[in-house]
Amino acid sequence: MALSRRTFLAASACMVASGGVSAQTRYPVSPVTLVTHSSPGGGSDVFLRELIKHLTPVMGTNFAVENVRGGSGAAAVAKVAKAAPNGGMFYATTPTYIQTSLLSKPEVGYDGLDPIVVVFLDPEVIYTRAESPFKTLAEAVAYAKANPGKGKWGAANPASLERIALERMKKVAGAQAAVVSHEGGGDLMINVLNGTLDIGIGEIQEIRAQLEAGKIRLLGVLTEKRLPDFASLPTAREQGLDVVVTKFRGLAGPKGIPDEIAAQWERAIRQVLESPAFKAEYAKDSLVPVPMGRVEARAFVTKFAGEITANLRELGVIK
Amino acid sequence: MNFEALFASLAGVIWGIFGGALPGISPSIAMALLLPFTYGMEPVSAIVLLASVYVGAEYGGSIPAILIRTPGTNSAAATTIDGYEMARRGKAGEALGISLMCGLVGGLFGLLVLSTATEPLARVALAFTPPAYCALGILGLSVIASLSGGSLLKGLIAAFMGLMVATVGTDPVSGVPRFTFGHAELLGGIRPILVMVGLFAVAEMLEQISSPAWAKADARDTRLKLPGLAMWRRLWKTQVIGCSIGTLEGVTPGAGGTIAAFMAYNEAKRWSKHPEEFGKGSPEGVAAPECANNVVTGTALVPLLSLGIPGSNSAAVLLGGFMIHGLIPGPLLFQKAPEVVYGLYWGLLSANLFMVLVGLVILNPCIWLVNRPKPYLIAFILALVCTGVYAIDQSLFDLGLVLGAGVVGYAMRRFGVPVLPMVLGVVLGFLVESNYRRSLVLSGGDHAVFMQDPVALGLLAVAFVLTAYSLMREFRTK
Repeated sequence: MALSRRTFLAASACMVASGGVSAQTRYPVSPVTLVTHSSPGGGSDVFLRELIKHLTPVMGTNFAVENVRGGSGAAAVAKVAKAAPNGGMFYATTPTYIQTSLLSKPEVGYDGLDPIVVVFLDPEVIYTRAESPFKTLAEAVAYAKANPGKGKWGAANPASLERIALERMKKVAGAQAAVVSHEGGGDLMINVLNGTLDIGIGEIQEIRAQLEAGKIRLLGVLTEKRLPDFASLPTAREQGLDVVVTKFRGLAGPKGIPDEIAAQWERAIRQVLESPAFKAEYAKDSLVPVPMGRVEARAFVTKFAGEITANLRELGVIK
Repeated sequence: MNFEALFASLAGVIWGIFGGALPGISPSIAMALLLPFTYGMEPVSAIVLLASVYVGAEYGGSIPAILIRTPGTNSAAATTIDGYEMARRGKAGEALGISLMCGLVGGLFGLLVLSTATEPLARVALAFTPPAYCALGILGLSVIASLSGGSLLKGLIAAFMGLMVATVGTDPVSGVPRFTFGHAELLGGIRPILVMVGLFAVAEMLEQISSPAWAKADARDTRLKLPGLAMWRRLWKTQVIGCSIGTLEGVTPGAGGTIAAFMAYNEAKRWSKHPEEFGKGSPEGVAAPECANNVVTGTALVPLLSLGIPGSNSAAVLLGGFMIHGLIPGPLLFQKAPEVVYGLYWGLLSANLFMVLVGLVILNPCIWLVNRPKPYLIAFILALVCTGVYAIDQSLFDLGLVLGAGVVGYAMRRFGVPVLPMVLGVVLGFLVESNYRRSLVLSGGDHAVFMQDPVALGLLAVAFVLTAYSLMREFRTK
């Protein structure tokens, strides 16, 4: 009896354990809605659709992408913040949602959401046109320093990370260059190609067409380490300019999501980032995988928000 | 070109015409709504589908512009002037026929330019520096005088109201939010289409409601009437004007169909044998903007295909369509995926032909629809406008903006202030301001930059001559 009872206990312990395992692999909600502020075909939309292709088998649940546009992300953030914290709805985070909270007074700010994972960093590169005399970032910056007011640098948008990066570069180099902001990457590219600007800043995927056609040259990358695809391209730090941009992509949900769900996400993200099929996809865009679970992601986003607040204040964009 | 692509083209045109005809749904939104459906399609069919929606929507916008004085798309705003006047005089069928056939001519010309002259025209796009864009915007604003109707002063008042609306949003240089009052909805500025729907559609409905004897439908012709030989002969010069302006505006990123349509209207009036008919139901006044904005459907793709740079919101959605299928538009696309490029050309051709076919089928029912008793018609249009605007972003804020613009538009009519200069101000204000300030950042505050850039200097000179000419005519007639 005792034996059988012990067997029973052991068996049930086994069952609990195996039940635990299957609970780890089986996600409690289906379908999971991933909300983005970008329109179909935009940056975050493509990111989510690629991600769920690989995430679906790993997490054993179905995903749906919903495009909630309007208010530079504020509408999407508000929608997700009001969702039940059962792991059924997440928002695709980029620095935009933090900037929007800082630039306006939306119904729900970035701190109304709880980051659950960070997946990628989008490396920012500095480029110039193929005919330009500059071969490295250091040269371009030295020119701007030697000829005050002659250097012309371009960023895509006025209140963007890219503009902040250029302004920081100006500061650390002590150069006097005009930083010109545009209405998107297309405008900027035209002004780099026609020689109006000395240098432009952007993400690899934005400039790939021109890069492959040999119309532009990369001068430096604003990451901590060199990119595997562009091993010969030195970082800004190596060229004596201490500027690093961490444009991130991740997910955040409503507050109060249970720890088990957060843990499931962390495991799943680590697993998909390792999968060769997904690796091949994201390596094409030179995305840097930075799997972070909830604890790390929270700290990362808080630190990021603090930095960007200080930077925007320095530029006089916010008070 | 296979059967699937042909079908995609037909489906795209039908969807585009309906989307374009719905006030509030712009061509880019009509395209974006279909984008998720293209994930599983063949690349060629997907691109053809999106491009066909673009062609259909640019045409579709002019149907409500003519019938109910409500431009379905930004670029149909210029068509409302003479299109609606023709309809009011019982010539709705004729106006629709002209718009359809001129749209076809424009679309085919745009395609011809796209398929034969992409390479040289890409250089034109690159020649446009910030000072040149600023000058281009000022050239567009020089049209105000001829859109002002009777009083230049009132026209300028309206234009400045439009320019003020264009200052709302994120400052183009410093990034500081301006006049947003803490609303995240206003960070991106006020979309011209919302102002336009309010100023035209809502104001028109308010006007109709407040005018007496509205229970009876107006007597109108009820059949579509395609232009005859005499009409074609009268319109050929207008179409040459429309085609040339559409080409220039299409290939310069950021300019686009709206400016093309307004400028074509203005030039058609200037060179017409009957300038006095403009504003009173001139067929040329319908033909010019319709031709120009359909040329843009082809030429706007020049910077996209040759440089990978989307020149308009619609081109940006098309770029998204390319990216989904792993295609990167740009200098290498012609070598890497020629079948997609040629598929796109054939798709645009069939889209233009299908546009005429679909137009022939649906226009008579459309005319029938607007000849229903006015109480039903007004309720129907208001419901259509509200759902259309709300559907874009599911935003009640946008709906409030439209209704507010409607009240402003109604007041403007009561005081005899023309609305078109305001529309022009809203559309061009940001282009002029951002490029003016960008130019000054580049030059370190030196205005000589506008004189040193040859393109800017040329455009400013043309703007100056045109304005002087209009003012002279204005004073001579007084």
